[in-house]
Amino acid sequence: MDLAFSSEDLAFRDEVRAFIQTRMPEDIRRKVQAGDHLDKDDYYRWHRILFERGWSAPNWPKEYGGPGWNAVQRHIFYEEHAFGWAPRMLPFGLSMVAPVIMEFGNDEQRARYLPKILSGEEFWCQGYSEPGAGSDLASLQTRAEKNAAGDTYVINGTKTWITMAQWADWIFVLARTDPNAKKQEGISFILVDMRTPGVTVRPIQTIDGGHEINEVHFENVEVPVTNRVGQESAGWTYAKFLLEHERTGTAGIAGCRGALQQLRDLIAEASIDDPRLEERIALVEIELEALAFTELRTLAAESAGKRPGPESSILKIKGTEIQQALSELSLDALGPYAESHLAPRYFNYRKTSIYAGSNEIQKNIIAKRILKL
Amino acid sequence: MDFTLSPEQLLIKDSVARFASGEHAGRDHWKTFGELGWLAIGAAEDLGGFGGPIETLLLMEQFGRGLVVAPYVSQVVFAGTILKAAERLDVLERLAEGTQRVAVAYEEQHARYEPAAVATSAVRDGDGYVITGTKVRVLDPTTANTLIVSAGAGDDVALFLVPADAPNVHRTPFSAEDGHDVADVRFDGVRVDGSARLDAPGGGLALLERGLDHAVAALCAEGLGLMSLMLEATVDYAKQRQQFGVPIGSFQALQHRMAEMFSELELARSMAYFAAMTLENETDARARAHGISAAKVQVARSGRFVGQGAIQIHGGIGMSEEYKVGHYFKRMTMVERLLGDTTYHLNRFIATAAAAEREPLHA
Repeated sequence: MDLAFSSEDLAFRDEVRAFIQTRMPEDIRRKVQAGDHLDKDDYYRWHRILFERGWSAPNWPKEYGGPGWNAVQRHIFYEEHAFGWAPRMLPFGLSMVAPVIMEFGNDEQRARYLPKILSGEEFWCQGYSEPGAGSDLASLQTRAEKNAAGDTYVINGTKTWITMAQWADWIFVLARTDPNAKKQEGISFILVDMRTPGVTVRPIQTIDGGHEINEVHFENVEVPVTNRVGQESAGWTYAKFLLEHERTGTAGIAGCRGALQQLRDLIAEASIDDPRLEERIALVEIELEALAFTELRTLAAESAGKRPGPESSILKIKGTEIQQALSELSLDALGPYAESHLAPRYFNYRKTSIYAGSNEIQKNIIAKRILKL
Repeated sequence: MDFTLSPEQLLIKDSVARFASGEHAGRDHWKTFGELGWLAIGAAEDLGGFGGPIETLLLMEQFGRGLVVAPYVSQVVFAGTILKAAERLDVLERLAEGTQRVAVAYEEQHARYEPAAVATSAVRDGDGYVITGTKVRVLDPTTANTLIVSAGAGDDVALFLVPADAPNVHRTPFSAEDGHDVADVRFDGVRVDGSARLDAPGGGLALLERGLDHAVAALCAEGLGLMSLMLEATVDYAKQRQQFGVPIGSFQALQHRMAEMFSELELARSMAYFAAMTLENETDARARAHGISAAKVQVARSGRFVGQGAIQIHGGIGMSEEYKVGHYFKRMTMVERLLGDTTYHLNRFIATAAAAEREPLHA
């Protein structure tokens, strides 16, 4: 074990910092700093800048156009990314569907989908939850039936809580291909072009007043069988693989660093001097530090060839608790003035302990798969 | 940066684990520690020393897992760090050999862990000093033949080497809950030579804080070991203990509590490593204090959560003196407080924030 940063690490940090400082468009930086909603073009513009530098997929290996960074480098990149007020990197393509396609897809699929995720040309969204299948995801009812020729799936059903479906070009869908199999065993992982006839997107207004989630309906949507990733009815394995990747990402540590800095700025601007508030912030900050180092350990294990395992549940639980705590503290810090733009974020962030497998489900995972209870 | 253990580190970990899991209670093992080289961790290489904060972490984690009651943090890490920084290599060499044993007397009743708040005085007397004052909760003084004593000399906090049996040194030992050796020590006009002073004038507090930070990092590692053992014992027990015809570990209320204990343990593990990393990457004392205090707060809070959960899930058996978990819980409760409790370190974390602000701590 050697816990010192090498001079290469420190030089890399300076390089990333300088790049983000000089290349981040000022209007995007201001929006992120203020905690405003970003639109699709904001994400896209920044993604393109990173793409041109070869940094748009920090978690990808070199063979698919990633930078091939080791754990420490990725860690440094994410920290600097937040430190420079860069917009969060949307996970749906980069860290959800892409690892599944790399691991379980075929060469044609890798060649068709990965380059456009890398370049940012195609946006993705995630078709997992259904009105009747939330925590009990495997009870999903969306069906994909083969046509007579056997070359096309016909998809019917409803997916819900889909973040950024209104912007997406593609959706990855879990659908039941074998209605007679045990519930985990009859599911397939299928890629669907959002422009296919029969796909409709209905916006869902959330309690924060925003629109980022949607319901997506599939009515006799015809999709080539070649859009299935991996084996038919083996999709549950791929779905779980994806969820473990997703959980590592949902810790949102870089974003928390930004939120913490916003909170400090806000306290400074309003000249708030309250030792008790100070103390509550310090406790959250320490937990964030602990979680950041936990993520670094997880990344290091991944670099050493270990897949993200059930340990990533800790990142999900603690990361979302910290995100919520920070949104709560911002609200508390401004007292009666908080309602303007901070209240929506506080309301919005209640979602974090619900999505990507609720925190209660994560505790079940830790109990069963790590503690073997 | 690399999280895998080198062959040498693996060797230390395994040899300490073997010792810690064996029969070791109730005896002094200093000779063994010396033979195994454990007293030389962190000492200068030409004194036979090797390793540093990471090796200390590996050793202390195993000491925690085995509930080893030994004056290691106080006499090796705390005293050794001060002696090394003060370049008193003569004493450090004897410490590393095991022939001289040094305890640190810095806490005072009114000070609430604050090393700068010194009422004990060192008054100039010819070429020497006369020390007067009372130190409380001195760790492991009984086996020490030398004390490092902090005292106000003019405007400075100065550090002195005082023979433990010098005239006018009075100890009042008391038994600590965790079986460790603790005493209040009164210095009733103790005269020492000028050469007994460890610090260059103005540098005493910095030496003391450096020693403290290394010792706190070691305590964090011990806490990690204590917690990991408590969680394992609790999970094992929950799988065996039957109520309502099923193992109690099948109940979701208990599963979630144990999952939370696991998360806390992992955060504590991270911060114990983080503490070692902070010492390895030290750039300035303020940032070091900031990082070490963060670690202590997390380990103390996690330790309390894991310890209380361990007792609760064990039920009545967790309360009984003959079962091991209660003893781990007691030691964890002491570790929480030793060398600064959560309130102290939280305040210190806040007070040292300016240096680290807007800057990720990690890089």
